[in-house]
Amino acid sequence: MKALKLRAEIHEKGWREVDVIISDREILFEKNTIPLKEIEDIEIVQIDGKEAIRIKKEVDFYFNFKEKQRSVFRYLAFNLKSDRFAVYFLSPAFRGGVFVNTSKWEKGYLSVTERAIWFLSPTKQLRIPIDAIGSVKGDIRTVGKKERRVLAVTHIDGGEVVVSFVLCPETTLEMLQEYLRKIINLQKPKEKLSEIEEQVLQMVYTGVDSSNIESILGINTDELNAIYDKLISLGLVRVVKVRKEVELTPKGVAIVSELVEKVSRGG
Amino acid sequence: MVKLVRVLIVDDTAFMRKLLKNILFSAGFDIAGEAENGKQAVELYKQLKPDVVTMDIVMPEMNGIDALKEIKKIDPNAKVVMCTAVGQEQMVKTAIKLGARGYIVKPFQAAKVVEELKKVAGT
Repeated sequence: MKALKLRAEIHEKGWREVDVIISDREILFEKNTIPLKEIEDIEIVQIDGKEAIRIKKEVDFYFNFKEKQRSVFRYLAFNLKSDRFAVYFLSPAFRGGVFVNTSKWEKGYLSVTERAIWFLSPTKQLRIPIDAIGSVKGDIRTVGKKERRVLAVTHIDGGEVVVSFVLCPETTLEMLQEYLRKIINLQKPKEKLSEIEEQVLQMVYTGVDSSNIESILGINTDELNAIYDKLISLGLVRVVKVRKEVELTPKGVAIVSELVEKVSRGG
Repeated sequence: MVKLVRVLIVDDTAFMRKLLKNILFSAGFDIAGEAENGKQAVELYKQLKPDVVTMDIVMPEMNGIDALKEIKKIDPNAKVVMCTAVGQEQMVKTAIKLGARGYIVKPFQAAKVVEELKKVAGT
């Protein structure tokens, strides 16, 4: 690749303009060199109101390549320090439990870095953080009229559970399955969940709100809060909203009384 | 007056039935009934004639595939949506061949289930 010289912005205690050269070996800016093969991971993040590419080496660098952002991201994704496997992938195959019929099998690579796995094709560079992977299982799917063993990777994308399929030679498949399972097991809580805790977790995933969870399981708010606390401590859920329980003050009671009178008068 | 879509929920786990009931009721479906195995599902289908059935596949006494076959004998236009887990594609394929209108994979998200059932029910 011919070296690409471009004006970009770098974030170091704020954004500032910088000249960057990207070659087939490295990224050069000011007196810094980032060899492409030493980049451990990249990610699109928002920083100080701007979209940035986070480049992880020993330290993190944040760049905004302006109108070249997408093409630089694609280029870096294909050149990460990673283990890369030629695969076919289908992503998303299922979203929220429902088959996505617009997705097609794509020829590309599965790239494994320390923090994420990537599905890479000329049109798609999908990063799945390791902590967003839920499970990895073998499955039999019909691909090109043949029944083939594939790897079903369940992961979170935009708050939804997505299943993606990977097709590659059997030996690679087994190795990948084993590797990803090990990583996932490291993140699983050591403590076993009770049946009711598992059910709460499943309902949170399904999108059932707290009052409905209480009604389905026949438990009260304090009991549910205790389960939530345990799930929070295990890093399985996080608080997004604190619900308020209120009762009327005398002033409130007075207003309600007036409202009732108004209705009964037909006003 | 808008006619509510009547759903028969078939699953051997009480928790899953409750969960589906909650999701579908909140989305404006009418829960016609619930069954905990395929045999019960077939009986209830005859009695209740629901608009849509959500059918678990792996169940005791009679599994979801056999129940689907029986329901299709009673009503060839029956709208049955299979509930499956990842790794059961072969059974899903069999179900689709037998006339299942769709399938959802567990664990599922409420909004997606509602979307799929509305599609199948034609609302």
